[in-house]
Amino acid sequence: MSVNPVSRARLFGSAAIVIATSAAIIAAFLSVGPSGLIWAAIIGSIAIGYAILSFILHPRYPDAADAAWDEQNSQAHRDSIVFGYWAVLAMFLVFLTLSLTSRIDPAVAFYWLGPVLSAVPPAHYLFSIARGRAE
Amino acid sequence: MNTKLIVHLRAHRKRARLTQAELASAVGVSRKTINTIENGVFTPSTILALTLAEELECSVHDLFELPNDPD
Repeated sequence: MSVNPVSRARLFGSAAIVIATSAAIIAAFLSVGPSGLIWAAIIGSIAIGYAILSFILHPRYPDAADAAWDEQNSQAHRDSIVFGYWAVLAMFLVFLTLSLTSRIDPAVAFYWLGPVLSAVPPAHYLFSIARGRAE
Repeated sequence: MNTKLIVHLRAHRKRARLTQAELASAVGVSRKTINTIENGVFTPSTILALTLAEELECSVHDLFELPNDPD
């Protein structure tokens, strides 16, 4: 694991968002645990907490921040955003089809796009880390 | 264009008696980036290649070369 504090925060932040979102999706499918609103608050709190932590760490460790956002890591980050875009577009088409065939309520479909939007880019970034293409 | 570079960075880094972390710190990138460049997984930008060459006191051509054309 990287000793860079900015990279570490990004790793733990991404992992926490992916784990919380996965737990929310599993809980929703099993109809257990807190309501969707509570899960949204949990995921949102983690994301905001990570953003605040990053905001503190970047000026405190400027050299580490530069290294954490070097060209390879920036490339991996860009790839994760692009992958997230296509994932949301694909899920939108799936939900659109389900909505038009009355298999899902459009409002519910809209809310489900949130977890995809929040979790897919960090999940892709974690995959890049696991492949040794990012830190 | 999908040419794989031949990389001599590791040899020049060791000649300079630097670890990956020390070289990474000197040029302002992560250790992982130095590692993936050395292994031919990541191709650095022109700016990073020039910075590495400057840090190791050699030319970019010493660090990277194109494979010989088989024709």
